[in-house]
Amino acid sequence: MKRATRELLLDPLHLQNPITLQVLGICSALAITNKLETSLVMCGALTFVLVCSNTIISCLRNLIPGSIRIITQLAIIATLVIIADQILLAFFYDLAKELTVFVGLIITNCIVMGRAEAFAMANPPGRSALDGLSNAMGYNLILVGVGFFRELLGAGKLLGFSVLKTVSEGGWYEPNGLMVLAPAAFLIIGLFIWVQRWLSPEMNEES
Amino acid sequence: MKPLRRLLDRIAPQFEEGGKWKKAYPLWEALDSFLYTPGIRTSSGPHIRDGNDMKRTMVTVVVALIPCTLFAWFNTGFQEMQALDPSIAGPAQVDWIAAILKGLGVFLPLYIVTVAVGGALETLFAVVRKHEINEGFLVTSLLFPLILPPTLPLWQVGLGIAFGVVLGKEVFGGTGMNILNPALTGRIFLYFAYPARMSGDGVWTASPESWADGYSGATPLARFYSEGSASLETLDWWDSFWGFIPGSLGETCVAACLLGAAILVFTKVGSWRIMLSCVLGLVGTTLLFNALAPDPGHYLAIPWEWQLVTGGFAFGAVFMATDPVSAAQTRTGMWIYGALIGALTVMVRVLNPAYPEGMMLAIIFMNIFAPVIDHYVVRANIRRRERRLGLQ
Amino acid sequence: MCGQISVAGRDALDFSNRYILGFSLALCLVCSTAVSALAVGLKERQEANRVLDMKVNILKVARLVEGENAPTAEEVEAFFKDIEASVVDRESGATLDGIDPWTFAPLKEARKPGGGVDASELPEISRTLAKRIALKRIPRALVVYRVNKPGKECLVLPIWGNGLWSLLEGFLAVNLDENRVVGITFFAHKETAGLGGEVDNPTWKAQWPGKTLFDGDSPAVTVVKKGAVRDSGHQVDGIAGATITSLAVGNAVQLWLGDSGYGPFLDILQEESR
Repeated sequence: MKRATRELLLDPLHLQNPITLQVLGICSALAITNKLETSLVMCGALTFVLVCSNTIISCLRNLIPGSIRIITQLAIIATLVIIADQILLAFFYDLAKELTVFVGLIITNCIVMGRAEAFAMANPPGRSALDGLSNAMGYNLILVGVGFFRELLGAGKLLGFSVLKTVSEGGWYEPNGLMVLAPAAFLIIGLFIWVQRWLSPEMNEES
Repeated sequence: MKPLRRLLDRIAPQFEEGGKWKKAYPLWEALDSFLYTPGIRTSSGPHIRDGNDMKRTMVTVVVALIPCTLFAWFNTGFQEMQALDPSIAGPAQVDWIAAILKGLGVFLPLYIVTVAVGGALETLFAVVRKHEINEGFLVTSLLFPLILPPTLPLWQVGLGIAFGVVLGKEVFGGTGMNILNPALTGRIFLYFAYPARMSGDGVWTASPESWADGYSGATPLARFYSEGSASLETLDWWDSFWGFIPGSLGETCVAACLLGAAILVFTKVGSWRIMLSCVLGLVGTTLLFNALAPDPGHYLAIPWEWQLVTGGFAFGAVFMATDPVSAAQTRTGMWIYGALIGALTVMVRVLNPAYPEGMMLAIIFMNIFAPVIDHYVVRANIRRRERRLGLQ
Repeated sequence: MCGQISVAGRDALDFSNRYILGFSLALCLVCSTAVSALAVGLKERQEANRVLDMKVNILKVARLVEGENAPTAEEVEAFFKDIEASVVDRESGATLDGIDPWTFAPLKEARKPGGGVDASELPEISRTLAKRIALKRIPRALVVYRVNKPGKECLVLPIWGNGLWSLLEGFLAVNLDENRVVGITFFAHKETAGLGGEVDNPTWKAQWPGKTLFDGDSPAVTVVKKGAVRDSGHQVDGIAGATITSLAVGNAVQLWLGDSGYGPFLDILQEESR
């Protein structure tokens, strides 16, 4: 694999992670990560939107007039988000109900707009799709991590299956109520950033 | 004492650069400076000649906490006796020694777990980061058990202090760099993580299983909320002032807090401005709410003299809000910071039905705002001086 | 929040105004067609999902299905052969024909302008109860589900009310002949997890079945503060540390069973069975 392609694929997972380094897309990361399942569905929806929007915008990049490019990107992204939302409501009703407005809020997820403007507008469709995919994966990695810890510690479950048997079910584990609240995602993302910077000191800003 | 000094000096090379135990230097350093005044002086200017240092400051706080700690032992035992036998009307009817021993039985496990878990983490960070173990932990480790309910399971005590030390202090760079009070951070974590163990009527008196019939265990604050100011008729203000009420271990006795405040203010370790402004903020806001109360029986109508002596207000204002690291540093800033703590405390108590007590939340909230307050106070000062010099 | 966004390096003047206008029109057309085609195409399925979800909740509260596992759509339909839904007038209790009970949403109806009654117009007792659970509007018509399955006969009544932070929406299942509660469930709420959120806890809900429904004319079943149960025949013990949420549930049950709720309808049913 060429170095450029490898960087394109791997950088967003760790060194250029959209959540922990660029601190984008925090809103959804806080709101829907109290269960692993909703995190996974959100990941799927965002991956779909990001890959499609990057590809479509990249295909149209030479046709989009510069003066209306932001609103054009927004219209395309909004359409994709509504499609994702409607499909979820039709085929995964239980999950869509728990995600409530947050699928719709992918429109305002800065990662999507950011990649469209920063990458897809200046690169061919193939590379743009790859960029969308890798950035989505960077987002997914964090979201799944946060969802994993919040559901495990907050409810003693994973994907709805009891892993740590809770006291109210006659087990030993006393669920940690903080993990169910949105601020817990801040704490966990903060700890992830700590671990990442400890592993790769080059991520630290110069003081 | 000579042999001890000689022993410390003899083993010192082992811990210094090149020695066998150099990784454990912080431990040796901690023991040495705990027992003796270290002979190290500040090496870079400017110098202020003063016998005071971090160790003396922290030890003063510990001394100021002694009345609260002693009272905590007695009251914990007393509350437990009263829960078992409701015919005990007042503290005069119990054997003080027995009550203190009973309370000690509750306090010591909490304290030992705090020191063991918190101390281990403190040492770990000191070794990894190659800095010295700080005396500040002496204060944190004594404050923490005093603000816990006596029924808290020990594993939660350990988890709470671990959270407080690591995420309240060490991630920011250790003592002196923390923006939050570590003991309160630990308590807040427990409060949100295990609410059923940290609030409600069942947690303030040791071993609820053994309660006698008819014993409620509710704190005055909880009763204010459920019964409004009607509860005042059955409560005695002096009971709240002297602290013979259920509550977190060390925070019930206002008299002991005042004694502690006197020590802190006299030695200039704690800021009287912050303590006074906390009180003024609380009283002012309470008077405002009293005026807004729709009827005299309403919760809003609870008078200020009750707000002062209930919950963790006195303890928080004296020992928590004045924490020199996390409080505002400028004089004007201290007034603003303290007044807002007092005001927020009453607001949370009165306006938010979910939380009967607001002192902890108010202090942590204002800890976060302290740097902003200082920033604007300093800016305003600079502007004023610029104007005086005609630079603007 | 968005980090650095580089400007795609092209000059806006490359395109004529006519092109820009045409491009935007075409874009709007394509996007709106895609969205509306999808919305129309999937509407039926989404509606079916919504109804199925509600039906599963009804089956759970009526104790037709037990446990966590959701039944399949076919199983649900099989159960619903024995369940009949109807819309009833709240004040008279008369059954209203001509309104589809599966699409009629009383809660939404009450919020529409002119769709409900202001809570301040209710009689004294109901007004106090409505105020305690912060309900401003009460609908004119309600939905009831009658379960006719032999041995499991009961009525499932939608109830709602505000707890500490949020609106609690749920079902109360009652057995009129035996004058007892069959079960309660909440399918939507945002109360504090671990405290008020425990209204969803099976252990807490297990207290409800068997409680006395009515004492004479007035609703009997109620929730009291944790540890204050004096008569376990009709009092439900509140949740520890969540007095406000627990009492709200009790008040909601009292309101909806009372004269301004399902009371008149339940009276008619009782008359019929006598």
